[in-house]
Amino acid sequence: MSRTITIDPITRIEGHLRIDVEVENYAVSNAWASCTMWRGIETILRGRDPRDAWMFTQRFCGVCTTVHAMASVRAVEDALKLPVPANAQYIRNLILIAHALHDHIVHFYQLSALDWVDILQIPKADSAAASKLAETISPWTRNSWNELKVAQDKVKAVAASGQLGIFQNGYWGHPAMRLSPEVNLIAFAHYVQALEYQRKALQVVGMLGAKTPHVQNLLVGGVANAIDLDNQSALTMDKLEQIRVLLGEVTDFISQVYLVDVCAVAAMYPEWFRIGSGVTNYLAVPDLPLDSNAGAYDLPGGVIMRGEISGVQAFKTASDPVFRESVTEDVTHAYYQGEKPLHPWEGETEPQFTGWDGEKKYSWVKSPRYKGQPMQVGPLSQVLIGYAQGHPLTKKYADLALGQVSAIAKVHATPAMMHSTLGRHAARAIRAAMLAELADKHWQLLVENIAKGDLTVHNQPVFPSGEVEGVGTHEAPRGTLSHWIVIRSGKIKNYQAVVPSTWNASPRDESGAHGPYEASLLHTPLARPEEPLEVLRTVHSFDPCMACACHTFDPSGRPIAQVRVL
Amino acid sequence: MKKITIGGIGSVLLGDDGVGPYVAGMLEAGYRFSEGVTVADMGTPGLDLVAHLSGIDALILIDSVSNGAPPGTVTLYRKGDILRHGPAPVRMDPHSPALSESLLIAELAGEGPEDVLLIGITGEQYESGTGLSLAAEQACAQAINEVLAELERLGSSYTKLRGETFSAWWKPMAEPIPAAAAEQMTTALER
Repeated sequence: MSRTITIDPITRIEGHLRIDVEVENYAVSNAWASCTMWRGIETILRGRDPRDAWMFTQRFCGVCTTVHAMASVRAVEDALKLPVPANAQYIRNLILIAHALHDHIVHFYQLSALDWVDILQIPKADSAAASKLAETISPWTRNSWNELKVAQDKVKAVAASGQLGIFQNGYWGHPAMRLSPEVNLIAFAHYVQALEYQRKALQVVGMLGAKTPHVQNLLVGGVANAIDLDNQSALTMDKLEQIRVLLGEVTDFISQVYLVDVCAVAAMYPEWFRIGSGVTNYLAVPDLPLDSNAGAYDLPGGVIMRGEISGVQAFKTASDPVFRESVTEDVTHAYYQGEKPLHPWEGETEPQFTGWDGEKKYSWVKSPRYKGQPMQVGPLSQVLIGYAQGHPLTKKYADLALGQVSAIAKVHATPAMMHSTLGRHAARAIRAAMLAELADKHWQLLVENIAKGDLTVHNQPVFPSGEVEGVGTHEAPRGTLSHWIVIRSGKIKNYQAVVPSTWNASPRDESGAHGPYEASLLHTPLARPEEPLEVLRTVHSFDPCMACACHTFDPSGRPIAQVRVL
Repeated sequence: MKKITIGGIGSVLLGDDGVGPYVAGMLEAGYRFSEGVTVADMGTPGLDLVAHLSGIDALILIDSVSNGAPPGTVTLYRKGDILRHGPAPVRMDPHSPALSESLLIAELAGEGPEDVLLIGITGEQYESGTGLSLAAEQACAQAINEVLAELERLGSSYTKLRGETFSAWWKPMAEPIPAAAAEQMTTALER
């Protein structure tokens, strides 16, 4: 006999994701991912000046602000074939990297670590032994006995108060929790330290973007940062040095703490390298352009189909013609009118709400497809696509991470194991390490270019009288983001955002193929179906953020991860 | 010197949800605050709110709420009210889970603000669009008075600037839209 479990909403950031799973014999036999509400934000943009669009799109989501701003200016620049000065590319790249580092750190520690770490085991830990263990696997200077004792005392105080505070929603003592008290303690100490380092990364965004969370320095055609190494009101060498110091501290946290923790936790749960694979078609776009015409990139993009790593196809540019032509959105199971899949430039969003029906329509998220196929996006896609192309930086950190997992778990960890729930976490940490190294590279590129005497930051956009189309892409923390714009005589005629969580959270399409969240949940074992921790682990591994996928908020303020067993 | 952060919370693209950023904009344009006071349009930060809470003594937030009161009602909530019922307390949409979570996380890290005041404005409509309802717009003046009263209570001073008005860049299309705001941005960068 099967029973259905509904988890609604599941994401801890502005959550509006609902997951329904059918459970048979303690394993998931069917799954539906849906978004519970929708508002048509894109229509606000119609008729407006394309130069202003980024200020609006930056408000799509309060967490992924800069990514939507960047994709928007790139969409207009693509439509106008407008080059972006090298300085502006490097400044933008530094903002994108700093934002992503902040985002990846928060995702692991604040949003998903407690799916694996049992807080209530921490009081039992031997803090001296924990410190010794931590110091054997990392040179990090903040793993001292004292540092870990302070962290342990925090948890003891919270537990003794009887008010679990931030921890009151966890599945503590769940049989799927398996870390030793000492490892739980180390992870928790880093949970608290992570707050400091994610903030340092955000400071960099604020220093380059003038403000955070909403940057102010973007322009179609470049950036508004005045560069004058001697003028205090402009971007000076002094500010650049401060930025380098902050990025250096964040880099140390990532290479000595985040990457190490992910490998250590992964090594303790090796079965999760076999759970949660799902859709093994992967998509990523090239990003971090190296020159003004975006002829070369530091992050590779492309496509892998059916998990065949050797068959990887590379994208040459961030708006590769194959990519431009291959994206459609299907609404067979989404609450919209429409018969056939449409290209985003022709995209329509006419709501047709019919209520949740797993056989028919059940989500406000459309189903984006690439050549008609569902695609997984996110750090795992980017790492696998880079690895498959022999991209040296990807290989460097992926091999390092797999080596660490192998050493701790005493297994032979291979890239094939990355098609999994833990693969997604590992890939995010690998990507963070890559980005941290690239932060230093792009900082140097900027400083060297300025030293050559190039102070240009902006090319003036000129709008033709007819109709032009463009796509702006960004390989965002949650995966491939694309903004599609149609401009007619200098005004916005149509605007569609195909966001990472739409790819991953998409419902079934006209052929009945599951979206990535849905497919990844099939066959997941559940020790206690009434406490579906295992479902949360896999869904959280995608780093869901539905605010922009469906452009909405949840007015009811429902409790997080409300679980109903039907 | 007390470190005080005044933050407008909400999405400017969803009707009355934008009332927090609107009040923040009015405060920024119309007043000069003493050192240590920061005014910010925080948007919808979710858990990223934690980053704003570090090292401050007091937090004053302005946000739209749906608490069943008539549209435009201004209701004050203190830290205890926000945390009393755990993650989903007084139905302060859309960010109340993140608001209480953020405060709890900051407290755990030993860096949360001592004083917290949430000035809630009951919204009327949250449809996609960039304008405020009349009720929400009229409530802004009272919300500002509550901010100023809280600053006085905290012992922080301010000056009202003459003739400074706030014009939101996100206003509906019927009204003139500011140009690409390049000048504004340059000013912001120089600040």
